[in-house]
Order: sequence, then structure tokens, then C-alpha cells
Amino acid sequence: MTLKIGIDVGGTFTDFAVTRDGAEPAIFKSLSTPSDPSIAVVNGLTDIAAAQTPPQTLEAFAATIDTIVHGTTVTTNATLTHTGAKCGLLTTEGVRDALEMRRGIREEQYNNRYTNVKPLVPRYLRACIKGRLDRNGNEVTPLDLDQVRQAIALFKQDGVQAVSICFMNSFANPAHEQAAAKLVRQEMPGAYLSVSTDLLPSIRFYERISTTALNSYVGPKLNHYLDQLVGRLKGIGFHGLLLIMQSNGGVISPQLAREKAALTLLSGPAGGPGAGLFYVKPHNQDKCITTDMGGTSFEASVAVGSPMIKNDGEIARHKIALPMLDIHTIGAGGGSIGWLDEGGMLRMGPQSAGADPGPACYGKGGKLPATTDANVVLGYLDPNYFAGGKMKLDVGAARTAIETHIARPMGLSIEEAAAGMYRVACNNMAQGVREVTIKRGFDPREFPFIPAGGAGPIHSCLICEELEIPLQIVPRESSVLCAFGMLMSELKHDFVRTFVSKLDAVDWKKLTAMVDEMAAEGARQLTEERIPEARRRHDIKFDCRYIKQYHEVSFLVPRDLVAKGDAAAIARAFHAEHNRLYGYSLEAENPPIEIINVRVQSIGFTDKPSYRGDAWAGDDAASAVKGQRSMYIPETKKFAEVPVYDGHKMRFGNRIDGPAMIEQETTAIFVSAAYDCVVDALGSFAIYRKGREDLVQSCFAREEATA
Amino acid sequence: MNARIDPILLSVYARTFKSITDEMSISMEQTTRSPILCEAKDYVTGLYDADGNMLEQTENLPILAFSLAPVCKYIKDYFGDEIYPGDVIFHNDVFSLGNQNNDVAAFKPVFYEDKLVAWTAVKGHQADIGGNVAGGYNPNAVEVWQEALRIPPVKVVERGKLRKDVWNLIFANVRLDIVQHDMKAEMGACTVGERRMLELLRKYGVASYETHKQALFDATRKMMEAEIAKIPNGKYSGEGYVYFDGRFVGSKYTIRVDIEVKDKSIKFDYSKTDPQTNGFVNGTFTSSASATILTLLQMVNPDIPHNEGMVQPIEIVIPEGTILNAAYPKATTFGNHLCPPNADAIQRALAPVMPDRVTAGWNNLLASLTTGIDPEKNEKYVDIGFMGLKGGSGAMRGIDGYDHIGMIDASGGVLDQDYEMFEQQTPHRLLKHELLTDSAGAGEWRGGLGVETIFEIGSEDTQLVTFGDGDFEPAFGLFGGKEAGLNFIRLHYPDGQTVVPKNKDLITGVPKGTIYHQVASGGGGYGDPKKRDRKVLAEEIRNGVITPEAAVRDYGYSE
Repeated sequence: MTLKIGIDVGGTFTDFAVTRDGAEPAIFKSLSTPSDPSIAVVNGLTDIAAAQTPPQTLEAFAATIDTIVHGTTVTTNATLTHTGAKCGLLTTEGVRDALEMRRGIREEQYNNRYTNVKPLVPRYLRACIKGRLDRNGNEVTPLDLDQVRQAIALFKQDGVQAVSICFMNSFANPAHEQAAAKLVRQEMPGAYLSVSTDLLPSIRFYERISTTALNSYVGPKLNHYLDQLVGRLKGIGFHGLLLIMQSNGGVISPQLAREKAALTLLSGPAGGPGAGLFYVKPHNQDKCITTDMGGTSFEASVAVGSPMIKNDGEIARHKIALPMLDIHTIGAGGGSIGWLDEGGMLRMGPQSAGADPGPACYGKGGKLPATTDANVVLGYLDPNYFAGGKMKLDVGAARTAIETHIARPMGLSIEEAAAGMYRVACNNMAQGVREVTIKRGFDPREFPFIPAGGAGPIHSCLICEELEIPLQIVPRESSVLCAFGMLMSELKHDFVRTFVSKLDAVDWKKLTAMVDEMAAEGARQLTEERIPEARRRHDIKFDCRYIKQYHEVSFLVPRDLVAKGDAAAIARAFHAEHNRLYGYSLEAENPPIEIINVRVQSIGFTDKPSYRGDAWAGDDAASAVKGQRSMYIPETKKFAEVPVYDGHKMRFGNRIDGPAMIEQETTAIFVSAAYDCVVDALGSFAIYRKGREDLVQSCFAREEATA
Repeated sequence: MNARIDPILLSVYARTFKSITDEMSISMEQTTRSPILCEAKDYVTGLYDADGNMLEQTENLPILAFSLAPVCKYIKDYFGDEIYPGDVIFHNDVFSLGNQNNDVAAFKPVFYEDKLVAWTAVKGHQADIGGNVAGGYNPNAVEVWQEALRIPPVKVVERGKLRKDVWNLIFANVRLDIVQHDMKAEMGACTVGERRMLELLRKYGVASYETHKQALFDATRKMMEAEIAKIPNGKYSGEGYVYFDGRFVGSKYTIRVDIEVKDKSIKFDYSKTDPQTNGFVNGTFTSSASATILTLLQMVNPDIPHNEGMVQPIEIVIPEGTILNAAYPKATTFGNHLCPPNADAIQRALAPVMPDRVTAGWNNLLASLTTGIDPEKNEKYVDIGFMGLKGGSGAMRGIDGYDHIGMIDASGGVLDQDYEMFEQQTPHRLLKHELLTDSAGAGEWRGGLGVETIFEIGSEDTQLVTFGDGDFEPAFGLFGGKEAGLNFIRLHYPDGQTVVPKNKDLITGVPKGTIYHQVASGGGGYGDPKKRDRKVLAEEIRNGVITPEAAVRDYGYSE
């Protein structure tokens, strides 16, 4: 019996998903402890141990845990709050300011008060080193090691904790960087070191230097945190496997995370998209839109077979060119504040009341109307059953805030104003979903929609209405979806090399050797992580473009095509992907295609939680009814009495007609008048447009099958 | 017919219009091939109502921002009742409200239930559009035909069918094939916008759309009026200067603006501006009016939606025959680059009454373009030196200027080439591209820093075209702030000779091994430098963006 725990450290709560083979996953939450997040981890494990039957001591329980998968926001927060390490940079003479100039962009063109971001390394600690390679990697000027020594002396004197090395054209020849790195290791053995060609040996200087500097900036903090975490886990007797969630949706060993800390910049939300795929399987789907609505932000991502990846991400306006999940974040959440602009139009967010003081209804002194306040006025949240009754909501405060700031100035009733806030908030979130669907060439109507986060399923019907999405799946674990997703993740190692060549003139022997070299490195890491050969896969991707284009398209290339050097078949795959993304290809014109980068992803498959198949329990949900409440129906724009169901009592096959409310301890689910709901084989609430029973066949078919 | 105004639905419309033009913009970025479009994002995407009133725009390059709506209105009148579903219309003609010959637009009418309800449009700077010189910057042009193929409103697609003959006539007069592909990308982006617009209409109906559209204009107009009302009533005047018309060395022209603020409206009158030049240094009405509007927009709340309501309170008068509005058939390719001196005139005029909102002078544009044969690949290359041309912005009260942002007509929307891509795509080797020490105009708030660019030219018989200004007059300071330095481009030939091109010039036969040296200087400072925060100064000395000598000289700094 395997015991596996996913742990997601958030701003307010630390979420736990616990699975044993064959058992339904259990959910736990503990209050986060920002000063040392590992304390909340141990607190939560203590609660989980006590909840076992029979209750166990922490130490006895810890000894039985096989695997912990951990998502952390330590590196994200360090970047967002400018609290990373003091860093030094060695770079090529003449390009000292590339990191700071960011190619000369100002994101808000009409806003003269918009200032540049503070560079990750101050200018005086960016040392210029003589030594130059040409565009093919040939040495033009030898590396000046004396200048490296002088820079090291300055770094030491200034108390630099982390050093980055990034030289011009090093993607074509790492020799200069490696020589400088050797010196740094000798002279500054305690410093954290990031070498651009170890991290990202691909072309584009700005992307590479920014990624390398980010790695150094967050590396020492992550190491310190992992020291704390590993120490505490060891202290309570845990001797299983600890894995760290990385931004690409895979997991890595703590050791690798220490070296490549920038891989964890999206560690927190990266579990969500993979989890979504798990929950759509009973409906014969292999794609979904996963969204997560928190207090201040709303995240959306798409998965088709596997979660979508991008190679040109950004964090706090710094470029990061390591592969990461394509997760789009907007400032919309339960705490988003409603306000009227100078033209008198209603807006929601991006300013947020956060968790403290929070929305007005929290009664912690917040006076501004937030999304959650509107939900209270509209009847979607039971003021006595928020967080399972652990927190009472102040309806009067919510009404006063909305009346003062929205209703009276707009000449609306409080209810009308709250409905408006709800609608604008949902519209904002719908636009966020468009970013990851329509803008990437996907039609959202073809995707099941997974709303996560405690308040997500209150808004999902209207979001889906806006996008004409007919099916939503709300998992039982939707309030801890990312933690659950971590349990589903594979070990993933990404490698990239720049290989500039026209596709019809490739030196296939050289390219194959390069691919083999990357795959061998992946295999070496997987061996260290105890993954047997039978559970490994190495995926190859090319980044290609039509000659003279500026943006590359990354697409999967089967290994046998590389081995055979089948340029024609690879070209067809490229045309097809270009057509899917941008609505056309130049297959007919057939201009030359250029390869820029070659990538390998080495995957090690981990054990997944398996589900006990629930028995079909009939369509009658009457026994789960716990009362009724007046709430706002968006379709009729009127309030109506609506039945309220206890979600914990609902079983596979139970059906509900909308409008209805389903409450669980950590989630409220609103089924609007245009939708109906049925519980599926995994216990998820499948919410489908009225008349579209065809989408949820698997939830009904059992009747005939067992008859 | 009038639907009731739903204040909530109004927000939904506004947000949806914005997301439509954003989506059109992304489609352009990802599919175009000319670096001017996909890297520098020199294009605008927009949505207009049936009468050509602006519903929303995404303006990657602000100078193009207000050049589509007037043409849309013109096209509607031009074709009258011969506009059909499935049409696509091209336009670039500067004498029928185009802004610059190379900025070629595609317009697509949107029909719903057989009725014209809206237009989608894209205008982008095309890599070539005919004329005497590849790329369009012809410093010797004196009339429009030497600059470009004129495209008055032309239907290239009618009722969904491509007019092959018309298409071929146009592209038979254009040098580069990629322009055809990039115009297809513009048409594709228009279709993306059309689809989204139809979705919206199916959901809410035409009556609701018409009513709410008007309400949106009204709400936006109110926001703009509220901003204008903050400026004291009165008449204010300012000047900006243009150096060298490309023909007569030593020539200088003055842009004069008289601004009249009356309660909620503002009028910009350029009647006293100097006459047009005989060369290509002339504006068109649209390019000059865009310059005026984008400068004003930087002084107001940046959150105001960009629709017809925003421009309603603004009146602009530019008599024909002036350097800002040349008469037929004058050459005008340089017109977009008259934005910086135009902006200077406006900032100088309004500084006394809007001291919190104006900026000191921005670094003016000085650009170059190199072409030749890469000897290693034996292939032709063309490079617009984006990284070299981006100087600093002017400081404003409370905020230092933005370093290395570039001219005000782009305001940080044009990006540098990536250094390694630059070395892949040209035979040149980059020797230096760094912030230039002491280049910022001193002030309590300093100007943005400029940059210094040095590279070794890697091809024989290289051709260099320059276009720009800023080598005679530096960016000005305000309220005791100091001016910045001058721009220059110099060529150090291998034989020891130094050649300094004029600011609008064409030089051929530049040999391999020549060192190209360019400075785009800083922006002007704001306020008395003696009052600058000493801690910030000490930090800047440590970081080497200002020398200790300059700190003592310009700021009275003592440790």
C-alpha cells in the first residue's frame, strides 16, 4: 500500500491531498506560516496523523509515508517582493546593461509614470570581462581570467551570495563560461553559481541572461528553505521520497531544484492543469480548461493530452526562457474590489482586499466592496457555513460597502449592484480564459471546464455561458486541486541546444549525437531518482520557423524521423502545427524551413493514485437536500428560492436540475438555471447545459447496464 | 428600437471590444514576417462602427493610433452603397487621409443580418511599397510617386472573392514577396476581429449594441472632458524645431502650436507653423494629428478607453501647405518622425499650466538601416538598427525619465534586436551596446539615459541610410532641469578616415571592417539638479551611470 501526499503552500492556506492505493483522497488544510513555510507542513502532517483510524502519532505516521510531492511559492514570492539574494554577474565586455535594459520595452506606452523594473543585479556588480566568441562559437578574443579574478574580489568584498555567468554566443561554445565558472567555484566555494549554458544553452542573449540571473536571485532562498524542510521532515522520521514541483508540470529531486532554482518559479500552480486531465477521463475526454480562483488572482490554462507549455514566460516583468506551463494569471479573485471609473463605469479589480482586511463581509475592517461581498448579497454564500462554518460572514457590512461605493452612485439597488459586480467579475475571468484558448488557436466550446479554488464553482456557470462552454467538471478536491495534481505529476527534465540549420540541409549525424547526449543526461538524472528504464521516455522537439520569420514554433518530432533524417515528414509536422496555431501554413508555397533549437524532455513515470470505482447509486438526490435559500438567478435577473444540497452526501449518478446550490465544507457550487448536474464515477459534479445529457452519458448508462 | 442602457452590459461591451482588438494584434505579431511588424510591432488593430467611429484600438505604436478612423469614414463615403459582405479594402494614400505611404491598411466591413454594423481594420508598416528606394526612406524624393505606389481605397476582395487582377497590379509594383504575406496577415487579423464581433452581435442583438456603443462614447467623452477641465482655461503657445530637410544643409523649420483650453474642450492650432519643405520632410494631416493626440494622452489618465468619445473634445487645425500637412503631391515619408518636435512644442506650451503632467524633452530619433551581402552565407541582409536608436525619455515631476526607451512616437513599443540574433542575421559583430554614462539631462528628476552602440560592419560595399534628427538640438530641460546630449552616427573606415553622415543621408560603398559608432542620447531633466536626492546620486555614481566629475559639476554633489 503506497501512501503519497501532495502539499501546496499558498499565501493563506497550506493544502494537503493524501492518497493511499485504492482509497478516496483525503483533503486537509493548515494555516500557512510565511516566516518558515515548513512549520505549516509539519502542522498539517500532525493533523493528518491524528485523523487516521486509529489516530497515529506524527512520528509513527511519518515513517509510513512513501512520497511527498511539494509545491512551493518561495521563489515566486522572492521575485515578486524583491527579496532575493545579493547577486553578481560576469558578462561580456560591451553588453553590461542587457539585463537592465530588457530590450528597451516600456509595457505601458501612454503612462509616463511607469518605471522600469529594478535589475536583479545592480550595475556595479555586473562585471564586464574581455573575451569573445563569434556567432559560430569560434574564439575571437581569449577570456581574460585576471578580470574574472578582479570581479571575484569585488563580489567577495561586497558580500555577494550568488554569481551568474552569461557570455555572448556561449550557446555555440561553453568554454569561456566554464573556465570562468571553475575560477568562481575555487575562489567562492560558498556562493550559489548559475552558468547560462548549464541552465539554458540556447540562442537569444537577453532571454538567457535574464533566466540565469533569476536562477541566482532565487537560488539561495530556495536552498535555505529546502534545508529547513528536509531537516524538519527528517526530524519527524520521514525517510521516503521528497519531490519538488517545477514550473513545467513535472517534478524533480530536491538536489536538482537546488541547482536550478528557477525551475520552481511556477511551482505552486503547476499541479492544476495535470489534475484537470484526470477528472475528465470518465467523460472520454483528453483535454480541458483548468482554472483556479483564489483571493487575488485567477489562473487559467489548457491541456490537450498534456498541459500546454511555453518557452517564453515572464515573472515580475523578467523574462524566463525555461519551459513552463502556459498558465495565464489575471487580477480577479474573491477579494477583487469593485469601483467606478471616471466615466462612471463599473470595474472589478485588479486591486484586491486580500485576506487581511479582506472583503467587507469578513468583518476585519475592510470597507470596500469585493467579489465575495457580492456573492453574499446574491445568496451564493451562506454566511453561517463559510469554510464549513468556521468563519461567520457579516452580511450587513457587505451590503453597506456595496451600497456606498456602487449602488448609490450608479442609481441601482444593492442587489442590482451586486449582480453587476458578479457579472463583470465573471466577464473578466472569461476574458482570461480566452487568453489561453482562442488566442492559442483553441475553441473553448470543445473543452470541459474545471473550476478550482473555493469560490471558483460559484462563478463558473456564468463564465461558461459567456464562452458557450457546455460542460463543467467540479472535482470533490477542487479546493485543493493543485495539491492533488502534484500526486499525478511525472519526473521531467528539459534540455535544449541551439542548432541553426535549414531543415533540408541538416547534418543528421551531428543532430542525432546532440539528441543522444541530452537523452543520456536525462537518463543519468532519472537513474539518480530511482526510475527504472522501463518507466522512462525521451521526447524530442524542434523549434522551427519559415525562413525570415522571427518566431519559432515548437513541435514534437518522433525519434525514428530523426534517426532516418526524414526532413519531408518533419516539415509536414511543422506546417500542420503552424496551421493549427495561426490559421495558415505555407505548405503550398514551400519556402525553406529553419531549425533554431532542438529540445529533449526526459520523463520518468511515477505511481499514480488509483481510484476505487464507485457503485452507481441511482439518480435520486433527494436525501442530500438540506434546505433552500433565496439567491440570484442570472438568466432571469431575479431572486428565487433554490434548493441547497449537501455535496458530501451526493453519490455517483445523483442528478439535480438547475438552478441549485451544492455545498461542501470548502466549496460552494452554483448550478444556474441553464444547467443541470450529475455526479460522475469519480464523485465529481458534472454540470452540463440543459438538454446536453449526451456529454455525460457515463453517469446514466449504468442504469441499463446493471438492469 | 432603442434598448434600455444596462450599465453592467456597458462594461461587458467595453472589455470585449478591447479583447477583440488585442486578439487581432496577437494574430499579427505571430504571423507576420517583416521584423518591423513582428519584432518592432509597427502596426495598429482597430474596431469601428458602421460610420467609422472608433470603438476600440490596440496601438502598439502610438503614432499610428489615430490614423484609421478618418480613413474608415473616407472609405465608407467613397464606396457608398457598393460595400458588400466579404469585401476587403486596402489603403495607403496620404492624400486621402493616410498617414505614411508604407503604412498600408486593410479594412473589412462587418455585416449582421444584411446590415453594415461595423468595420475591422489593421494598418502596418510594410517593408516595401514601391517607389525609388527599397524600404521607402528616400531622402531625395520631392513628390509622392518617388516614394511609393499610391493605393487609394481599393477592393482586393469583393463578396469574398479575391480580385486577382487588382492584387497582381499592386504587388507587381512592390519589391519584396514578404509584403504579400504580411498583407495576408492583416486580412487574417481583420477576419479574427469580424468573427468575434459577430459572436457579440448574436448574443446581444444590434439594438443593444447601437445603444450601448453610444453610451460608451458618452462615458469616455466625460472622462476625457474631466481631464481637460483640470487644465486652466487660456491660450498657450509653444515651438519645436526640425533640422535639415534632406536637401539644404543648414535648413531649419519651426512647428508652432497655439493651444486653447475652454472648459471641457481643447483646440490645437498649427496655423503659424512653417511652410512645407521641398524634400520628404513633411507631415500628413493624419500623422501630425496622431502626434498631437498621443502627446496629450500621455498627460491624462492612461486608463481612458480609446474610442470616439476620447477624441471628441479635441479639435486640431493644421492648414494645408505647412510642414505638418503637405499639399498634393509633396513627398511625406519622414512625416511620422515629425512627432518629436511636435511633442516638444506641446510640452513647452503646457508646462507652465500642467507642471505635474508634462515631461521634459525626449531624445529625438536618429536611425540607420544597413544593407549588404553576408560574405559567409552569400545572402542579402537588411537591418534596421533598432537597438542603436533608442535614447532616454524626458523627466517629469517626481519621476526620472525612462532609460533607453526610444522616441516618443513609440514610447517603448519598439524593441532592440536580440544581440545574438543580430549577429546571426547580419555579418556585423556587436562591440558595445550600453547605457551611456552622463547622457541624462540633470535635474531633481533626471532624464532617461541614452545608449551607445558600436559594431564592426562585416560586409563589403555596405549601404547605409540614415533618417532622423537630434544631432543639432538636444532634449530640453524643464523648471531648472538641464538639457541632455546630442545624437550622432559616425563611421570609422579601416583606412583611418571618419565619415559623419547627415541626419538624412544615403551612403554607399562602406567597406568591411568599418566601425559603426552611434549615440542616442538621453532625455531632458526636470527641476533644480541641486535638489536631487543625494542617496540616489551616490548610488548612481557607484553604478557608473554618472561620473563623480559630472555629479559635482551638474548637481553640486559633495561626498
